[in-house]
Amino acid sequence: MPRYVVERTFEGGLEIPTDPTGFNAMMGVVGNNAKEQVTWVQSFVSADKTRTYCIYDGPSPEAIRRAAELNSMPVDVISEVRVLDPYFYLGTGS
Amino acid sequence: MGRLIVSVGRPGPAAMAADSWSTRFHGGDDVTSEDADVSLTGEARRGKGNTLLERDGLLAGLEHLLDLAGDGAGSMAMIAGEAGSGKTSLMNELARRVEPRGRVLIGGCDPLTTPRPLSPLMDIAADPDAHFTGHDLAESDPFSLFADVLDDLKGTIRPTLLVIEDMHWADEATLDFLRYIGRRVADTKAVVACTYREDELGPDHPLRTVLGDLATRQSTVRISVDPLTVEAVGYLASESRHDPAELHRLTGGNAFYVTEILATGEDLPGSVSDAVMARVRRLTPPAQRVVEGVSVAPRDLTVDHALALSGADLSDIDEATLSGVVVARGARLAFRHELARSAVEESIPVGRRLSLHREMIDLLRAGEDLDLARLAHHASRAEDGSLVVEYAPEAARQASLRGAHREAAEFFELALIEADRMIPSELAQLRRDLALELGILDRQEQALQQLLLAAEFYREGSDHLLLASVLRRLSQALWRNSDLEGARRAIDEAIQLLQGAGDDEALALAHEESAYNWMLARRHSPALEDLARCKELAERSGAEHVLLLHDYMAATVEIAMGDPERGVDGLKRVESQFRERGHDRLATTTLSMLGSGGGEVRRYATALDALDKTIEEGVRTDADYLVAYNRSWQARIAFEQGRWDEATRIAELVVEERYGRAAIAPVTAQGALGRVRVRRGDPGAREALEEALSIGEGCEMQHLWPPSCGLAELAWLEGRLVEIPGILDRVWTQALAADSKWARGEVGFWMWKAGAIDGPPDAAAEPFALHMNGMWKEAATTWHDIGCPYEQGLALAEGDEEAMLRAITIFDGLGARPAAGMIRIRLRKLGVEHIPQGPRLETRSNPAGLTNRQVEVLGLMVEGLSNGEIADRLYISKKTTEHHVSAVLAKLGAPTRAKAVALAESLLEQENGGGSAP
Repeated sequence: MPRYVVERTFEGGLEIPTDPTGFNAMMGVVGNNAKEQVTWVQSFVSADKTRTYCIYDGPSPEAIRRAAELNSMPVDVISEVRVLDPYFYLGTGS
Repeated sequence: MGRLIVSVGRPGPAAMAADSWSTRFHGGDDVTSEDADVSLTGEARRGKGNTLLERDGLLAGLEHLLDLAGDGAGSMAMIAGEAGSGKTSLMNELARRVEPRGRVLIGGCDPLTTPRPLSPLMDIAADPDAHFTGHDLAESDPFSLFADVLDDLKGTIRPTLLVIEDMHWADEATLDFLRYIGRRVADTKAVVACTYREDELGPDHPLRTVLGDLATRQSTVRISVDPLTVEAVGYLASESRHDPAELHRLTGGNAFYVTEILATGEDLPGSVSDAVMARVRRLTPPAQRVVEGVSVAPRDLTVDHALALSGADLSDIDEATLSGVVVARGARLAFRHELARSAVEESIPVGRRLSLHREMIDLLRAGEDLDLARLAHHASRAEDGSLVVEYAPEAARQASLRGAHREAAEFFELALIEADRMIPSELAQLRRDLALELGILDRQEQALQQLLLAAEFYREGSDHLLLASVLRRLSQALWRNSDLEGARRAIDEAIQLLQGAGDDEALALAHEESAYNWMLARRHSPALEDLARCKELAERSGAEHVLLLHDYMAATVEIAMGDPERGVDGLKRVESQFRERGHDRLATTTLSMLGSGGGEVRRYATALDALDKTIEEGVRTDADYLVAYNRSWQARIAFEQGRWDEATRIAELVVEERYGRAAIAPVTAQGALGRVRVRRGDPGAREALEEALSIGEGCEMQHLWPPSCGLAELAWLEGRLVEIPGILDRVWTQALAADSKWARGEVGFWMWKAGAIDGPPDAAAEPFALHMNGMWKEAATTWHDIGCPYEQGLALAEGDEEAMLRAITIFDGLGARPAAGMIRIRLRKLGVEHIPQGPRLETRSNPAGLTNRQVEVLGLMVEGLSNGEIADRLYISKKTTEHHVSAVLAKLGAPTRAKAVALAESLLEQENGGGSAP
C-alpha cells in the first residue's frame, strides 16, 4: 500500500484534549479510517497548531479523501512518499 | 430552499434510556452505551483474525444491561440467531469484556436424545465462582436449587453474567428454570443470557411457550443476531479471491459458513459439510430422504416432487422443515443456505444421486408444461448427454428472452460439453447463440473464440448468407476485443459475399453494421454512404425491422458527427418504437447510445438520464458489458461537471478484474480517475492515465483522446509544455482524419496551449474554438451553460483581473489546487494585492452556504451546548468556536444565538416534511 503525506490547515488551531474525550475522538478517527482501509501512522503539528503533516497508508488518494470527509477533516495537499532515513546508507560509504 | 444537513462528528448520547427495557436490538445498530461513551466501531474491526463485525450495537447493549444489573436491576436477554450466526462468538466476546468487572458463569444444553435434567445448571454449579451447589435431585425438588441460584444472583457484590447456550435443546427442567428466573431476575444483580437457534424452533417447540411468557416482561430483552451484510462479508473477504456478493449469496451471510470458506479457501469446506450433515443425520431416515431430494433440485422443489422422490409422507416433510435445514416457501421446499444444499447433495453416494436426477427427469416430463431449465439441469447432473442436447439449448434461449443472460450462457455451455453429439450445423448455431450471450456478459474474448469457430464451419460450406451473418457478429466481437482492422475486414467481407446474393435484407443489415463501424471510428462520409445503401435496400425488401435499425444508426451518426439535437430526438423516437414492438434489449441499447453519445457531445442532462435508466435495466438483465461501459460514462461526465468525488467513486466500481473483457469501460473509467487526479494535483495521475492508454491500446480515438489530453494537461500544469505535441501526436493525427468536433476541439485546445498551432482546427467544438480565438468571455459563458466549471475557469483565467479572481474562486471550489496556484502566481507577478487565501472546508450545497464545520457547530447549538461545550466536543479552541458561531449567525442573518437556533429548527422541520417551503 502506498504511503502518503497529507497536509491540513486548521484555522484557529487544532485542540485535542489529552483525556478520555480526546482518546475517544482519536478512536473514532481510526474507526472511520478503517472503513476506507486507510491507516493513520503519525502526524506532525506546526508550533501554532494550524498546520498538520499526517502520514497515512492507504490504497489511493481517493480513499484518503473519503476518510477525511468521514472525520470532517480538511485536506490541502496529498503527496505520495517513500521513507528516507540516514541509516539506510549505513555500510554504503567508504 | 435546499436541505440543511446537520451532522455531528461524534456519536450522540445513548439511544437507549435506562428505563426502557423491552427493546429489540439487532446486530448492525450502532447503539452506544451511556456510560462508556465510546464509538465501538473502531474496536470491533480490530483484525481479521478475531473480528466481530456488526455486533457493536449488541455488545454495547449487553454491557449496558450488565452495568444496570450492577446497580441492582437485573435482566434476561433472549438471544436468537440461526445456526452458525455467531451467538457463541458473541457470548465469548461479551464474557471477555465483562470479566474484569463482573462474574461470568457459562453453561450449555446438549443435543442428547436423553438430556440430563438441568445439565447447564449442573455445569455452572461446578464452577468455583458459583455460590450454589448442585443438589442430588433425586432427593430434593428442583425449585430449591432454583431458589439457591436466585439468592446467589441477588447477593453478589459484582454483577453476574449467567449464560445458558443452545436453549433449543433444553430439557423440561431447564425450561422451568428459565421461567422461574425470568420472572424474578429484575431484583437480582445479574444478566441471564440465553442463546437459541431460531431456525430450529418449530411452532410447537416448548421454548416458544416460555419465550411467550417472558417476552412481555419489562426485564426481558430480545436480541437477534442477524446474518452478516454484504459489506461485512466484503470486509472479511477483502484479501481473498472471493467475490463478496457471490460469497454472500452462497452463505446467506451466515458467519460460520463465511469464515470457514475464507479459512480453508475451499468452496465447500469439510467443517461446513460436517456441521450440516450432523444436523441432517439427526432426522429420521424418511425425513433425511426428503432433505436429499430437495438437495438435488436447483433452487427449490415442490412438495409433490419431494414426496415422490423420497417415498416419504407429509409428516416427514414437516419433520424436515422443523429441523430448520430446509424451509417451506408456499408449496415448495428449499434450503436455507445454498452451501447447505451443496453439502447435502455431495454427501449422497454417486449411484443414488444419479438415480435421483433421473427420477426427477421422469417426474418433470410427466408434467404438463415442460420446465426446460430444470430438465436441462437434471439431464446434466444425470450425465445424460442426449437429454442435455435436447433441453439445454432451448432452456438457454428461453432464459435469454427473459433477460437472464447468465443463465442462458450457462445452459449453452452445458450443451457445448456435448458437442460431439451434435451435427456440425447445430453446433455452429449453438456457438453463435452462445457468443451473443457472452458478448452481453462482457466475456468478449470467449465470445470471439466461439464466433471464430462458427465462422470456420460456415466457410467450409456454401451458404453465403449464414457466413455473412456470422461475419457481421464477428466484426462487432473483433472491435470489442480491440482489433479494429479485423473488424473492418470482417464486415467488408460480409458485404462482398452478399453482393448479388439476392437477399436485400441481409445486405441491408451488413451495411448497417458497416455504418456502425464507421461511426465508431468517427468517419462521417463513409457512415452516411453505408446508411444510404442500407435504407435503399431495406425499403426495397420491405423489412420494417431493418428500417428501424437504420433509423437507430442514422440517429447515432447524427449525434456523434452531425447535429446533436436532431440525433437526440432521433434516438428517443427509435427507442420508443423499439419498446412498442417489444424489442426491449434493442431499446436499452438505443438509450445507452443516448448516454454515451450524448455524453461525448456534452448534452449532460439527456445523457445522465439515459445512463441511469440503462444501468438499472442492465443490472437486472445481466447486461454486464453495457453496465460497465455506462458506469464509466457516468464517471467521465461527473469528472467533466466537476463532481470529482462521485467521478472517482464510480470509476473505482468499474475498474476491477478485466481480463478477457472489453477495454472501453476501464479505459474510460481510468481516464476519468486520472484526469481528476491531474486537476486536484493528487499523486498517481500519470500512472492512472498511462494505464488507461495501455489498456486502450487497440481502441478508437474517441476512447483515447481524453486520457491523452489528461497527460497533456498534466504537462501544462507542471510546466512541461514542450512535451505536449509528443504526448498528443497520435490522437491529434486521428482527430484531424476523423469527424468529431469535440475531439478536434479538446485535443486542438491543448496543442494550442503548447503553441503547436495558432488557432482552432476546422470544425472544432464551439467553446474550445472560442477560447482558441481569444474570445475568453464568450467561451466562459458557453462553458457555464454547458456545465463544465473547470473549463469555464480556464477561459476566465485568460481574462482580466476580475475574471482571474473569479477563476480562482471556481478552482478553489473544485479543489483544483494546481490551476488555482498558477493563477495566484500570475496575479502576484502582476502586482495584484488582495488575492483570496485558499479554499476553506468544502461548502456543501446547503442553503445558507455554511461550511461543513459551521453546520456541525450549528447542530450542537441546536442541541443546546454552550461555546465551551462545543469546543470540547469538536476538539477546537473556544476562540475558534466563537469565530464559527459568529459566522453562522452572520450567514443565517440571525441577530442572536436563540434566533439562529430557531431558524435551524424550522429548516429541519421543513426538511422532515412539516411546514411550508419558503
